[in-house]
Amino acid sequence: MERKIRKILVANRGVPAVRIMQTCRDLKIPTVAVYSTPDRLSLHVFMADEAVHIGEGPPLKSYLHMDRIIEAALKTGADAVHPGWGFLAENADFARRVIEAGLVWIGPRPEIIALMGDKKAAKEIAKRANVPTIPGIEDPKSPEEVLEWMERSRITFPIMLKAALGGGGKGMIKVENAQELPQKFSHAQSEAYKAFGDASLIAEKYIERGRHIEVQVVGDKHGHVVHLFERECTIQRRNQKIIEETPAPSLDDDLRQEICFTAVRLMREIGYDSAGTVEFLLDTATRRFYFLEVNTRLQVEHGVTELATGLDIVDLMIQIAEGKPLPFHQRDIQSNRWAIECRLTAEDPKTFAPSFGTITRLQIPDGPNIRISTGVYEGAEIPPYYDSMFMLIMSAGADRDQAIRVMDRALSRGLRVDGVKTIAPLLISIIRHPRFRAGEFSTRFIEEHLEELISTFKEFDPDEEVLKIARYVAEISALGPQSWM
Amino acid sequence: MEIIRISPGTEPARIVKLLRETDRIFFTSTSLRDAGQSDYKNRHRLIDLKTLCPLYNEMGLFSAECHGGARWHVGILNRRESPFEELRTYRRTMPNVLLQTLIRETNLWGYRPYPRNVIEYVVSRVDIDLWRCFSFLNDVRNMRTVAEVVMSRGKLFEPAISFTDADWADNAYYLRVVDEIVALCGGTDEIILCIKDMAGVGSPERIRSLVSAIKDKYPDLVIHYHRHATDGLALPAYRAAVEAGVKIVDVEEDSLCRFYGQPPMLSAYAYLTEAGFKVNLNVRLAELAVQKVREWINHYDWAESPFKGFDYMVVKHRMPGGAFPSSFEQAEKNGFLHLMPYILELMSYYNRIVKYFDVTPGSQITWVTCSGIVNRYAKEHGEAGVRHILDLLRRFVEEKGCDFSAMSEEEQEELLELFKTAPGDFKNLILGKYGKLPAGWPDEWVYRSAFGEEWEKKLAERTEKSPLETVPELDLEQAFRDLKDKLGREPTEEEFIIYLMHPKDALDFFEFFEKYGKASYVLPTPVFRYGLRKPGDKVEFTFLGKPYTIELVSVGAEHDGVIHVVVKVNNKTRVFEVATPRVKKKEVRMAKGPNEIGSPIKGNVWRLGNPKRGELKVGDIYHKGEEIANLEAMKMETPVYAPFDCVIEEICVKVNEPVVEGQLLFVVRPLEEYTPKETPTNLGEEVKD
Repeated sequence: MERKIRKILVANRGVPAVRIMQTCRDLKIPTVAVYSTPDRLSLHVFMADEAVHIGEGPPLKSYLHMDRIIEAALKTGADAVHPGWGFLAENADFARRVIEAGLVWIGPRPEIIALMGDKKAAKEIAKRANVPTIPGIEDPKSPEEVLEWMERSRITFPIMLKAALGGGGKGMIKVENAQELPQKFSHAQSEAYKAFGDASLIAEKYIERGRHIEVQVVGDKHGHVVHLFERECTIQRRNQKIIEETPAPSLDDDLRQEICFTAVRLMREIGYDSAGTVEFLLDTATRRFYFLEVNTRLQVEHGVTELATGLDIVDLMIQIAEGKPLPFHQRDIQSNRWAIECRLTAEDPKTFAPSFGTITRLQIPDGPNIRISTGVYEGAEIPPYYDSMFMLIMSAGADRDQAIRVMDRALSRGLRVDGVKTIAPLLISIIRHPRFRAGEFSTRFIEEHLEELISTFKEFDPDEEVLKIARYVAEISALGPQSWM
Repeated sequence: MEIIRISPGTEPARIVKLLRETDRIFFTSTSLRDAGQSDYKNRHRLIDLKTLCPLYNEMGLFSAECHGGARWHVGILNRRESPFEELRTYRRTMPNVLLQTLIRETNLWGYRPYPRNVIEYVVSRVDIDLWRCFSFLNDVRNMRTVAEVVMSRGKLFEPAISFTDADWADNAYYLRVVDEIVALCGGTDEIILCIKDMAGVGSPERIRSLVSAIKDKYPDLVIHYHRHATDGLALPAYRAAVEAGVKIVDVEEDSLCRFYGQPPMLSAYAYLTEAGFKVNLNVRLAELAVQKVREWINHYDWAESPFKGFDYMVVKHRMPGGAFPSSFEQAEKNGFLHLMPYILELMSYYNRIVKYFDVTPGSQITWVTCSGIVNRYAKEHGEAGVRHILDLLRRFVEEKGCDFSAMSEEEQEELLELFKTAPGDFKNLILGKYGKLPAGWPDEWVYRSAFGEEWEKKLAERTEKSPLETVPELDLEQAFRDLKDKLGREPTEEEFIIYLMHPKDALDFFEFFEKYGKASYVLPTPVFRYGLRKPGDKVEFTFLGKPYTIELVSVGAEHDGVIHVVVKVNNKTRVFEVATPRVKKKEVRMAKGPNEIGSPIKGNVWRLGNPKRGELKVGDIYHKGEEIANLEAMKMETPVYAPFDCVIEEICVKVNEPVVEGQLLFVVRPLEEYTPKETPTNLGEEVKD
């Protein structure tokens, strides 16, 4: 049942597309890029060995357009499709159609994607595998039903309402008390319907000051499942991760072993056959963790695991898709470094307003223990249609302090981006914050400290200052003496 | 002769004692402040001025005047230099020299009276050794707060008497002012008295008489004479002053001298030495300083006053040297340079109607009021009107001795018109908002003229109090928060002080630094003003000890209001997009080929298409003779017809757009050549889904 992959179409753009193509280059597998009209000069298009234009800017007309993508693969003779993350990565229908077209799908079986995409079903399976889940009620039809459940199970406010079919932080609403429940309940229903076409909800206990821990798992088509240790992704803004690291500073060894093997147990139960992630919420007060969901794809933050273990997860996904058995056993996996990742987005660091445009200057950090995963180059455009994340900055060290100090160098002295605003100043403030350094934070860290974080933005940089002087010389050379003189 | 040095940190009493006992005459250099102000609008930049500092450090100067209101304000507005950066630089490059400021008693380095708490806050935070402080009203009460803060900090206080030559400004008057100063400062042991001859109007014998009178009454009082050269009599006046007992005089490098600043250093040295005085100056170093100035002074030709030459008439109009270049510049900019002789003449009458000293902010009030009056008469009645009013004033002032009742009824009415449109500051001045006027309030008719029917009510508001008593305290913490909000970050203390002095201009100033960094401190003057002129030109400078070269590669053509400028920064190519301030010039496309339909007339496009078919669109087919547009000119309609059966390919004008004759309206294609094709996708619409 082994099938050698000879050419891979990467059904994505930007950072994930470039990341996947890098491993393909290592493996000497030719790649095909797909691109939308505004992406015609994007980095991934030129990274690939060949490229196919698949439509206009809006994702539905291009990167979500299944027919065009499969057609592009067939036309260029690609025999496999890697979806990256986002877009069609967790779309079971797409995976199925790729396979039906005679192509190899680099990812888990479509049935697994479908099953894990259904939050209710996923929770059921977790319970079956003895994985602790957040106390909750499925598909409550009314606010009253939620209140009854709370009384029955002795749950107190706050609680969380989620879309049953949701994911990625969308359609989640926190309810603080009984008074606001009816209004938020109908709000959550309509949001769920708008986002996922189904108004069913899940009501769950809300874990205050929870921490987000996830376990990287890989499984092959021969029934082997191993974990590559955990990651902590607690620093988030509006449920979008911003900083991730491994190991998780909030875990001790016992809890780490327990959470990792719990994840493996669940994935084995599912029969998982690719790289995937099991997400948990850790209640630090009780040291209990609860199953959140399974991400049936390559994760944005997979790079920190790669840095800590030395493995290449994209390579593993390709090998698994080819039908090869995992090349190692659990005992062979060592995580012996600390690694951190910061997601660089083109947004105003104070208001988070998206910032589009041309990157007029790009200086990419380098030096020991830095890994950069970029989707852009100097002169590239950041179009308004897509995710504003355009670069992942990762650092590693023997321990957490060393990894953070490398990250500080990368962000404050290495990285320079002109033309668009980035959240780099915010990232620097976070990694310098004493509470972050101490490892004491929850998913609400940014909202709780935003003002303080913003107040420490300014930093003096000699190179930057000289470019300002050069700008002055350029302007006066072009325009002559100014009236203010 | 061993040079005597007076270093910063020396106690005021010791400095005063030394000056009382010495037989030397000392020089203060004003090159870093007043010299540049009086002849070059304060445009001399720190990067040039600081080349003098190593020489000053050893030269034996009493002090270097390097700081003051206009230098400060022009630094913020025009040079983009912080007064604090200047002081830091001077302190570092000439640690042996007393740094001197010129400060207005309640206006400090700004233009309006500040409350006591602002004065205390600011004065106690600026690194100055010698505080020369003046009041344009010689209202010594106003100096109290500055005097207290300076003297309690152990710095040297130099109160100034503002000097002018007027019948009411006699020795007795000045002695009363000196009495008040000595009383304010608790004697003469810790202060130096300055005679501030800011217009340069003191004749040698007038000055000799004044100094002698003061020295007779206060033999221990050390006197510093400050003078401008405007009347051409500065050096003899210095000799007279020194002979009468003055110990310190103000000078600038001979090569820096033009007409309205201080007298030349080497000439003053030679003249006083010949007269038998010992001048505490290392002449060799002074000569080097004179040479040094020549290295950069030619970069400032553009900043020189448009009015050149000494002006003995200054004894009448009394415009201070420091106001010369800026007043003439303003007159030139606003197109009334030709009226300047009239304005100066008016000033010579005005200062006998409203009596105070022409120095900031008084000189500004005089200037705005007088130039306003002359401009108003010139606009309403032409130059003859101006001559008429000047003639009237001459008679009023010179023949009738300013006796309003001695004028005819008709003339009285005309005089009452004089201050009708005077500026608010003039009105505040005569209401006592700046303090008490030195020679009494103006006559009643001035109030009638300035306030019209309200004059009696206004007169009742007039106060004799010092602004220190009347200006309400400022909430400093609130002001700090305001600035923080405006900056979006925590301001530094220096930024806060700059903001307190000039709240409006400060923000632009801070923005300049955000945007251009330290450009104003590192770039040589020609580059700062003109940039790099041609490809291959480069500028080299050191920043934080590292060498930098910026080389111009090319300046692109303007396109869509943007010019691309390519420069090399230490060999690395950088492209800067420079937005041009000029409004984008719209290129007019003219109809050329047979498929281009031009406008038959110059007019306005008021309809595209025709009423039968509605608005015309790209892709529409029009038949020969069918109306495709209508133009309007002088209320006449002119239809434009399709020249043949055609398809509209491009519409080049909009409804209500004015067009010139022959301007391209449409590009069309003959129907027989046309093959329909797929409509191109409209990206703009699709963004919405």
